[in-house]
Amino acid sequence: MTGKGSATPATYSPSPTSRKGKPPAYKDGDLNWARPDGRGFQQCRPAYFRTGAVNAASGSAYVEIGNTKVIVSVFGPRESKKAMKYSDIGRLNCNVSYTSFSTPVRGQQLDHKEYSSMLHKALEGAIILESFPKTTVDVFALVLESGGSDLPIVISCASLALADAGIMMYDLVASVSVYSLGVNLVIDPISEEESYQDGSLLISYMPSRKEVTQLTVTGEWSTDKINEAMNICLDACGKLGEIMRMCLKEAASVSSEVNLGRPGGRLKGLQGA
Amino acid sequence: MGLPNESGDLLSKMDSDASRRLFPLRFYESHLSISTRPDGRPLKSAREAFVGPGDVASADGSAMTKIGSTTMLAAIKMEIMTPSADKPDEGSIAVEFYMPPICSPLVRPGRPAEIAPVISKQLYDTIMSSGMIDLKELSLISGKAAWMVYLDIYCLDADGALFDAALYSAAAAFSFLQIPVVSLSEEGRLTIIPEEGNGNKSDKDVVNKGKRKLTISSLPFSLTCGLHKNYILPDPTSEEETLMETFVTVVLNSSGHLVSLYKPGGPVLAQTSTIQDCIALTRQRMTDLQKSLDEAITEMKVD
Repeated sequence: MTGKGSATPATYSPSPTSRKGKPPAYKDGDLNWARPDGRGFQQCRPAYFRTGAVNAASGSAYVEIGNTKVIVSVFGPRESKKAMKYSDIGRLNCNVSYTSFSTPVRGQQLDHKEYSSMLHKALEGAIILESFPKTTVDVFALVLESGGSDLPIVISCASLALADAGIMMYDLVASVSVYSLGVNLVIDPISEEESYQDGSLLISYMPSRKEVTQLTVTGEWSTDKINEAMNICLDACGKLGEIMRMCLKEAASVSSEVNLGRPGGRLKGLQGA
Repeated sequence: MGLPNESGDLLSKMDSDASRRLFPLRFYESHLSISTRPDGRPLKSAREAFVGPGDVASADGSAMTKIGSTTMLAAIKMEIMTPSADKPDEGSIAVEFYMPPICSPLVRPGRPAEIAPVISKQLYDTIMSSGMIDLKELSLISGKAAWMVYLDIYCLDADGALFDAALYSAAAAFSFLQIPVVSLSEEGRLTIIPEEGNGNKSDKDVVNKGKRKLTISSLPFSLTCGLHKNYILPDPTSEEETLMETFVTVVLNSSGHLVSLYKPGGPVLAQTSTIQDCIALTRQRMTDLQKSLDEAITEMKVD
């Protein structure tokens, strides 16, 4: 910190911290509460995707879903670290980080160290690692603003960035989460809803191949409920996949018209689909 | 690099993309000799600059700037601090510049870029010495409470002239800043008054009524020029920065006064005339930057 003087004075944020005492309105079988942003329980926030956000990278994507904003850059395939052993198949290296202003109170962003490895696991199954032996593909994500459902959004954004970089994949990966709040199932939760959850379910899905690359369930679920949640999730993943595909098609038609493309073709990544 | 003649022969046979990678310096100089730069710019012109609000909902003020493809996102968060005993009427500013791994193939997680803390320090020095912010304006209750301004700048895409883009985003973020209205609670802490619920609070509790904007007297604007042989090349891209070793960064404020001048070493000796040329180029650049920023500010007021 380039602060003034040697000792940085202790500061506090003037934001109201009243959230703790507020009783969750979602409990007790009440079916009539409304979501804070006025959505239906099974309604996702509108999604905006754009590829080619970062020119310095081999491929990149920017996603904005509600207040959640994420940029993912893909570098490589490039030389693996010297310490790495020889490998017949390519390596995937993932990292997820947050900006210091991603959360309402500065510097209180959770570290989410596990997100890097979860992102890795969600993408691994979709990438044709055999197509870049001995080398590494780096996938770096930066959450500019955290507004809930960060991990599924990072995963979807990363798969779009990989496609933009021309990395061979079997299919795009679309990821959506559903939370259980009292008796209700809530799709694509915002941060406030996440903090009241009784259980969460996250699915990363390849819509064209109808294959799941990652399924994470936490909390207490009944069999009926989990089936319902999975169906809702898969349905939403399919729709999200469509939006992502449309974004890629648009980018491809623009770059073929204007031919601003960087050396090395884009969109090779979807040949296997 | 191989023998000059040999590479020259090779160069003529190779396609431009290959020669750009194999003989970058020759490739570059062949462009300079025909008075153009590899990205198609004339020698003395800077890239197009863009400035707009950053739309970071969790920040009190934010701005996004682009110079060519170099992209910066600056956000300001205001916190409360107890001012130091020797300056009871002053707030404080902290500036941090980040280069996350997404911005460049050279930065990897766990290995922060060396240049980032250097730019942090330069930004802090420039902002403080430009007289842009009056620290006394950041005082809330003399001796008891003052604003601590955290300015965080993230580089989202690094393609040269990082300091220029970062300073521009800092100037814009301060211009867009909306100071939150705070009131004194019973425990002696200051809390934000929510915009909707203003009616419940009596006005006398409000500490900083009607003071939502900082008075910004003069904004600093900068231009970095690369010096290569006899050429002065403003606003270098990252490709050009790897080829050149001497840079001059000039910072002027809106009234045209010189705020600072950095020339961090380098083999090309900058003549007095060269420095004067750099300042003249910065003066031209400043008009463009100021105009774009003014437009962005008026656009924001309309919304």
